[in-house]
Amino acid sequence: MELPYVVVIILFYLGIYTIIMNKNLIKIVVGVNIVESSLILLLILISFKLGGTAPILDRKYELVVDPIPQALALTAIVIGGSLIAVMLALVIKIYKRYGTLNVDEIRKLRG
Amino acid sequence: MESAVWIILLPLLTAFFLGIFKLYSDKLFYSLVIVSMVIYLYLLILVINDSYPPKVYSIGNWGLLGINLMVDSFSAMFLLIIAILFITVIIFSLNYIKVNKHKFIILTYVMIAGIAGMVLTADLFNLYVFLEVSSMSSYALTAIKKTDKSIESSFKYLIMSTFGSFFILLATILTYYLTGTLNMAEISLEFKSVPFMIKSTIMFFFIFGYGIKIGLVPLHAWMPDSYEASPIPYNVLSSGLVMKSAIYALIRLLYVIFGVEFLTESGILNIGVFWGVLTFIIAHTLAYQQSNLNRLLGYSSIAQIGYITIGLFLGNEKGLIGGSFHILNHGIMKGTLFLVLGIFYYSLKADEIEDIQGLGYKFPVLSFTFVVAALAIVGLPPFNGFISKWLIIEAAIEAGFFYAAFFILVGTFLSLTYYLKVIIKLYTKTEKKTLIEKPDLSLKLPTFFLGSLCILFGIVPSLPLSLINNIPKFLLNNSEYIRILLGG
Amino acid sequence: MSRVHKIFRKFYKIGLVLFLAIFLLFIFDEIQNLDIKRYLSEHYISEGVQETGAINLVTSVLYDYRGFDTLGEATVILTAAATLSFMTPIKKVKMLGTEFTIIIYQTIIIIIPFLVVLGMNLIFFGHISPGGGFVGGVILAMIPILVTINYGITFSENKLKPNHKSLLEGIGAIGFILLGLLGIFAGSNFLASGQANFGLGNPGELISAGLIPYLNLMIGIKVGAGLAAIFNSLIKEG
Repeated sequence: MELPYVVVIILFYLGIYTIIMNKNLIKIVVGVNIVESSLILLLILISFKLGGTAPILDRKYELVVDPIPQALALTAIVIGGSLIAVMLALVIKIYKRYGTLNVDEIRKLRG
Repeated sequence: MESAVWIILLPLLTAFFLGIFKLYSDKLFYSLVIVSMVIYLYLLILVINDSYPPKVYSIGNWGLLGINLMVDSFSAMFLLIIAILFITVIIFSLNYIKVNKHKFIILTYVMIAGIAGMVLTADLFNLYVFLEVSSMSSYALTAIKKTDKSIESSFKYLIMSTFGSFFILLATILTYYLTGTLNMAEISLEFKSVPFMIKSTIMFFFIFGYGIKIGLVPLHAWMPDSYEASPIPYNVLSSGLVMKSAIYALIRLLYVIFGVEFLTESGILNIGVFWGVLTFIIAHTLAYQQSNLNRLLGYSSIAQIGYITIGLFLGNEKGLIGGSFHILNHGIMKGTLFLVLGIFYYSLKADEIEDIQGLGYKFPVLSFTFVVAALAIVGLPPFNGFISKWLIIEAAIEAGFFYAAFFILVGTFLSLTYYLKVIIKLYTKTEKKTLIEKPDLSLKLPTFFLGSLCILFGIVPSLPLSLINNIPKFLLNNSEYIRILLGG
Repeated sequence: MSRVHKIFRKFYKIGLVLFLAIFLLFIFDEIQNLDIKRYLSEHYISEGVQETGAINLVTSVLYDYRGFDTLGEATVILTAAATLSFMTPIKKVKMLGTEFTIIIYQTIIIIIPFLVVLGMNLIFFGHISPGGGFVGGVILAMIPILVTINYGITFSENKLKPNHKSLLEGIGAIGFILLGLLGIFAGSNFLASGQANFGLGNPGELISAGLIPYLNLMIGIKVGAGLAAIFNSLIKEG
């Protein structure tokens, strides 16, 4: 078992835990971000080969890392970034209307 | 099979062009909406007609190196639902939507493109991308009224749905790691040599992720809120297409990638049937307690998803036919109910059960349509809901799930109670209410169209069933699907 | 009683998460012992340069082999920008911020041309060196963002109007699809470039790789405009 995979799992479940347990909306968004980063890290790990060069074949190479997960990672980053932007905009809107970021208090205010 | 890719491209192109036209001219905007809708209808009919035997379209002509689209009967049935619901909803919302109308139409087009992509693609990562496209526009459409409730429910939907997406993405990455490919057919072949435990884990991730998007019971919390807060034309698409496309993706993955033997072996079919029963019992009970009609219909949608899950997880031919037919029927029936409710809301701002008292005398034809659709969704005979429910019950008995068949009958009674409550309220006499706005023909026509389909598919079920009967051929026996996808 | 209940619930959730984590750990451990086939990526590495004409394999995967994914993610950005633009109030709001010294104002003016060159370089050389439409677009989006941060939202929107940003975004997205349609007109399939015999040129030259540089440009325009619009919308919210 290589250490990076352990890091991926720790990050993934740290993020999941943050999303489930936290009452603060901003922290929930941070949790989403952590999970997303862990998945991107996993994609990079999958493509990794010891001693491989980046998949840009402009000079001599012996071993090239897998280009597909890198392309997938780019897609995942863009999608994740868009999601975070929309989330933050919604959080700002909620804060403006209720004056708080706490889930329980928002629920109380709504009645 | 050129037209398959146009099914995805045309709504996207239309949405992008609408985004530009919105800045300059209103007239151009609406004429483009109408023109592209008509062309899209034609394209859909073309592709649906040509769906058997399945066709493969390779993007970029790369064959197995790139992304492939595949049209088989299951996806053709979804294209049929798009054809029915999308056209009606666009015509309805041209008059109905008052706030952010341009944005509503643009986002609806993007959502349709995403759903069409999910339905057609045969590539695992592409499925995830299009899932995100359709979910992203769903979050936006939920928030489009900009009221407190809609912002809040959109955030809730966004967080829960993203939570599910992460598990789907994780499973997708692990699948790539194990097989080195993203094409569904090749994955399916490679998966035969993957150990049982790892395969079950990946399956669990897929089911959990899609379970949130579908709204199976412990994971359904976002759904009633979002129904209550979003514009009613979107609710039609949400219950008819967004949830259903997630269940489509799940079933496609389970039956094609894992294969029906593995599903039986791992016992997920039993769990699925049990989950479906649990879902509709709880959802029916919760629906009974609602006073808001939107929430009531939302819980009813969750319950119908339970029936569909039972049908599709039975793992026999009849179950798949019944479940698929119920997907189509539920889209139509729930669409009718929501559109009638939309007209009530448009003319009287009525969305509580109390508010609709006595409307049966004010809008006799509309109320009749509502009653027809309600009875159809309960599952009473001459309507379409009866036939698909009957097929599911028959299949459950055939597969030996007697408790499921019994509970479907119980569920029918439960749903009858709360729909009767609404219908009785509708026909209870009360003092005159003043109309705020008179609904015109462009609102009524789509409603009557959907309502008449409820009766038509009930009397002549062979019409859609001729398409649906081909579905099990490529799901129960995935080698056929794989052969066509690899050969194309 | 409720306190005990609360603590119990907390431990239950922590336990559940820990259990799932350990479970996943075992799965990862088991996965690593399997022998894994990589014929798809091996094919890309050995044949990709000849087939697509792009030296940067990530670009060739993004814009040629799996170009359809790129269209999807471009749509996601567009949807996000559209969502934010209808959620923001139309009225001008006063931006929170601090007054900067003259050094910063002057430096920004010097930096901007370099950012333009860097962004354009990343976009146009995306197929022969590290970079590409997304990265270049992000760099280009930095310019309006820097202007907004330094000179305020009113000045920035006056220089580059929100309508023009959505126009640019639309043009980028439509351009991507139209370039893809060229493949159909050339008698092949959607998004075909090498397969439809658009001259691939010599790998390593600027004008090579068929449609990839033009697709890169479209995505660059789209991402740049989209991110700038998203940032300005978020600023207006706050």
